[in-house]
Amino acid sequence: MVYKIIELSDLNLEDRRFHFTLNQADRRLLHSVKEIGVVQPVIITCRQNRPVLVDGWRRVEAARASGLEELPALEMAENTDDLAVFLLAFFENYGQRSFSLAEKSMALRKFYEFRLNPVEIIERLLPLLELSPERRMLDLMLELSFLDERFLEIIHRRDWKPVTVELLLGFPPAERTWLFLVIEKLTHNQQREVIENFYSLRRKTGKSLEELAEADELSGPVSRLLRGEIAAADRLLVALKEANSPLLSGLQRKIESEVKALNLPEKIRLNYDRTLEKPTLHLSLEAGSVKELKEALQSLVMSLENQKWNRLFRLLGYEGE
Amino acid sequence: MGRLQIKKVWVDREVESAGLTRRLLDRLAGRPVEIVDNVETVKRAIRLQSDPVGESKKNLFITTQKSFLRPCPCTPGCLGCGYWTIDLDLNCPFDCSYCILQDYLDCQPLTVAVNREQLGLELEAFFKERMAGIIRIGTGELADSLALDELTENSSFLIETFRGQDRFWLELKSKAGLSPALLQMVPANNVVLSWSLNPAAVIKSEEKGTAGLEERLMAATEAVGHGYRVGFHFDPILHYPGWHQDYERVVESIFRSIPVETISWISLGSLRFPPGLLPLARRRFPGSRIFEHELTRSSDGKYRYPRPLRQWLYKQLAGMFIEFGAEDRLYLCMESVEVWREFKEKIKRGRRKLTFPFPWQC
Repeated sequence: MVYKIIELSDLNLEDRRFHFTLNQADRRLLHSVKEIGVVQPVIITCRQNRPVLVDGWRRVEAARASGLEELPALEMAENTDDLAVFLLAFFENYGQRSFSLAEKSMALRKFYEFRLNPVEIIERLLPLLELSPERRMLDLMLELSFLDERFLEIIHRRDWKPVTVELLLGFPPAERTWLFLVIEKLTHNQQREVIENFYSLRRKTGKSLEELAEADELSGPVSRLLRGEIAAADRLLVALKEANSPLLSGLQRKIESEVKALNLPEKIRLNYDRTLEKPTLHLSLEAGSVKELKEALQSLVMSLENQKWNRLFRLLGYEGE
Repeated sequence: MGRLQIKKVWVDREVESAGLTRRLLDRLAGRPVEIVDNVETVKRAIRLQSDPVGESKKNLFITTQKSFLRPCPCTPGCLGCGYWTIDLDLNCPFDCSYCILQDYLDCQPLTVAVNREQLGLELEAFFKERMAGIIRIGTGELADSLALDELTENSSFLIETFRGQDRFWLELKSKAGLSPALLQMVPANNVVLSWSLNPAAVIKSEEKGTAGLEERLMAATEAVGHGYRVGFHFDPILHYPGWHQDYERVVESIFRSIPVETISWISLGSLRFPPGLLPLARRRFPGSRIFEHELTRSSDGKYRYPRPLRQWLYKQLAGMFIEFGAEDRLYLCMESVEVWREFKEKIKRGRRKLTFPFPWQC
């Protein structure tokens, strides 16, 4: 490679054939470039007589933002084929940080388009990217790479896992767009749970997402999320879980209402297994002295006369459809 | 062998010239054969296909097994039944949507072990070591016991090995029809041929490639007619609109042709599966809706129906069996102590003969 100083304006940034990273120049990099310029050369090569960027997208972005006109570069010979150039771009980054799933998908697509043998991609590259070395995984990654870049950025930022991506790709394209609008600003776990629950509900009912979102319990939180109110995420998740889990959520509601109706002193607390696998109550008492303990126990014993306890145990041991 | 769709046979170099290998290859004549050093070569070829699970069922690997016998691990937090398994074949040519082997076997091809003499030695030692009680041993955990039997005739080998070992009961569990070899043998008193049962509609939609309900019941009837003991497994029980009527029909059809005294055991187990199966099964069986039912993650990490529903399903099924005096043949598979305890109470109300937890241990 040949070291040279290049004019930023000469770079053909429209040609993104070697671009697969999604991190943007952060404030620290911008600050650094503003202070001392770009020290580490970017890597370029020539295509159609113009230099194109191989590696160093964040540095170029920072240089442009800082108003630099020139920057140092290492130029690869023009006759180096795209696959060889991209291998360099890939491994230059591979040694420095982990890639998000979105970046992995973009890189794999480049390898595929640059005609690296699919068997080699599966057996050599997928393990390097901590993905299972199977044809199915390559197919999934290629499908992911075709998503709109703004969606890939969401997947990148929230560090999605393949299982969530697979669910997302199970929705028709128009519904994916709608889903992204709903979940865009949520945390990764919230995004995953919303997608999982909508996916299951959709398969269960055969309704489209739009139809599902019209249901009374879902329409409110969905509209709020579409307006950017992320606080509505918890409400949406509760509603989705209730829709997917009517038996358990119905029983939980009734149990909690019985517990409340017992009106026990604050120092006596009742708990139970929310999955109802164990049909028992857990009781805890808070006492700082023998006297307090006696009082708590006495009030508990007195409350046992209340028929609500029987109802509570019946609910815990409930069996039925 | 009519139902087997084996595309290719792979032979472990180590057993290339073994007598059983030769016989298997004769029976599989016409399929391409490749000699390999180990299973990894086969797995590699399978991984490169877009449906590795489906592909694994079409590639047969002939090899040896290092050891065969092991106690059934059951699942953490559940009451085990003291079962032992023999891993003679691995994987299954049938394609059931809920089968955990899809997730568990990781591209393992249909695998046939030809070092049966070693299994014979293991069993001989096992029969001597285990001094007390009845022990049930089966080949149906990582494979279907009879699916490859026309090819391997493993059932004949096993029945002869178990013959006379009265405390050790061999179970051959299947979703296939009856292998002709079994009807040519003198039945042994400690051999139970068992079939997994589900309503005909469930078999059609969720158990691809298996024998239909009628064929399974016919096989069981023939087995009984020949003098075998039989068993049935309602596992996985599926809950869906109309399930009660469908299962009732299955139970009734059992007793139409099979006398209760010839049935050794009937297990009940509801749908459960490890989380890894969920994306895989949804992908492989896009038309199936059984995974969209209300499910919870239990302490062993598996998805199951919620406990109130499971208990209800078992109670309803027990009720169906009580009508035919078969409740003392029932046991639960991979269930918690809490569910077992409740189930035992329900059964007791019908009849007092049930020995908790497992009838065959008395």
